[in-house]
Amino acid sequence: MRYLRLFFIQLKASLLVAMQYRLDFLIDLGLAILATSSALVPLLVLYGDRQTVAGWTWPQALLVVGFFNVLRGILNSVIQPSLQAVVEHIRRGTLDFVLMKPADAQFLVSTARFEVREVTDSLAGVGIIAYALSRLGEWPGPLGVAAAVLIVGCGVMILYSIFILVVGLAFVWVKVDNLSYLFMSLFDAARWPASVFRGAMAWVFTFILPLAVMTTFPALAVMNRLTPAALAQALLVTAVFLTLSRVAWLQCLRRYTSAGG
Amino acid sequence: MIRVQRLTKHYKVHKRQPGVLAALRSVFRRRFTTVKAVDDISFEIAAGARVGFLGPNGAGKTTTLKVLAGLLAPTAGEVRVKGFVPNERRYEFLRSIMLVAGQKQQLLWDLPPADTFELNRAIYGIAPAEFRERLREMVELLEVEDVVKKPTRQLSLGERMKCELVAALLHRPTVLFLDEPTIGLDVTMQATVRRFVRTYNERYGATVLLTSHNMDDVAALCERVMIIHHGRLIFDGTLADLVRQTLPEKRVTLRLAKAVPGGDLAVLGRVVEHRDDAAILQVRQSDVSDIVKTALATLPVLDLNVEDAPLEEVLANVFAGAEAKRLPEAAS
Repeated sequence: MRYLRLFFIQLKASLLVAMQYRLDFLIDLGLAILATSSALVPLLVLYGDRQTVAGWTWPQALLVVGFFNVLRGILNSVIQPSLQAVVEHIRRGTLDFVLMKPADAQFLVSTARFEVREVTDSLAGVGIIAYALSRLGEWPGPLGVAAAVLIVGCGVMILYSIFILVVGLAFVWVKVDNLSYLFMSLFDAARWPASVFRGAMAWVFTFILPLAVMTTFPALAVMNRLTPAALAQALLVTAVFLTLSRVAWLQCLRRYTSAGG
Repeated sequence: MIRVQRLTKHYKVHKRQPGVLAALRSVFRRRFTTVKAVDDISFEIAAGARVGFLGPNGAGKTTTLKVLAGLLAPTAGEVRVKGFVPNERRYEFLRSIMLVAGQKQQLLWDLPPADTFELNRAIYGIAPAEFRERLREMVELLEVEDVVKKPTRQLSLGERMKCELVAALLHRPTVLFLDEPTIGLDVTMQATVRRFVRTYNERYGATVLLTSHNMDDVAALCERVMIIHHGRLIFDGTLADLVRQTLPEKRVTLRLAKAVPGGDLAVLGRVVEHRDDAAILQVRQSDVSDIVKTALATLPVLDLNVEDAPLEEVLANVFAGAEAKRLPEAAS
């Protein structure tokens, strides 16, 4: 309850910051819309001269892209900015203040910053999903929708965990900008249905970076094609990642050496 | 209240020579050395005390404060603050302490300080009525009514520091660590900050431990000083004791009607400074009255003043003494 209130207070602070710089906000909003539409380009090119790719038809693949946009919006609006802020805190030694607050430090840093404008990406994603479903002509039942929402939640948690792990490295290496760029470009692969990837790539994207769980599974869910086993797999993977990141975070706090002075 | 026993804190730091080649080399192979930031120090501080923590840059003051505030884990030794082990960072402990650093800020850069206050209110769970009352009191004491609604980035350093103090004390900590709180501030601002810290200490009985290079801070605030040098505690006592032990001689400042030859002054005591019509002599405490009498009789004195040696000089002497003692030790 207390944490929910803290969450909203931090959200409010971010909104206030966004509104402090009005012009910046508008420009960013325009950029966000551009980025969203560019997500569709590779897909359009690919489906220009064929009916299916790795067994996925155009509207089906469009579903995956829709979920990719939803997740990317959440990643860029909630996860990435906050954790970027942690790295900044570590570099400047101001993490001290976070650590001195009588509240969970991981929670405080994870909710410290929201990029409100990036939410447009998620909204566009929802629009793409709706359009794709109308093209398919087959709407998901309530169970399918619930499963999709649940799995998107899992995807968010996995992304968050991976970012916490990256930030953990910042405690040791201080500067990790490149690592988060690397991650962002790998995440880009999530715009394709998982069955596109073969061999080592498939292995990496299932176990190391479970992209399949993030976008392909929810797409399957709204097509009423997700098996209970896949759902269980998603939950399990999420639990593993969350645990791993929490342990890593606590370990890293112990290694924190502050800066300055 | 605060009990530190044989505290030791070592850092591993990566060292390299300056220059591009050395930097390149360090990308592949890093050399680490251990720095003893704090080396086996022990002390106790009673509740409500104001203690100054002095030492040259890199002596280990800030490290000690950070250990006490729970930010760093000690390498060895035992630390208790209000009965808590700081590094466990129990919420109950965190609610009763705060560290304010002159060179770091917790205020949100893009927003007015009032928004940071609000955030801290939520984090510490301060009741709204109490929050308003505390805020009003501190804002009045520090005279920042007009400042708290302006974005932090537009504030002057002094205004920002005052707001830092407000943000830090809203939860009314009973143990306050101040790390160079007046650094970079002008004389008026320094005085305001000192007065505020003193008021806070007296009104709420808070324990204050501060580090500063500004001897005025120490003279105005600290009944007791601890001097740390190369991670070791080399003095712990009152300011008066420190002066008595290190530079017990008094300073006699003379202002003269006309210039006098140096020889006339040298017979009175050691001449510290001599410019035409002004001079400072250093004399033993027991000789002060005789020398003052002689000076008045033999010199065209306009004005005469007797005081302790300046604290800066006292401290410089302490450090020089400690350094001289340390070097043969290190060599053997």
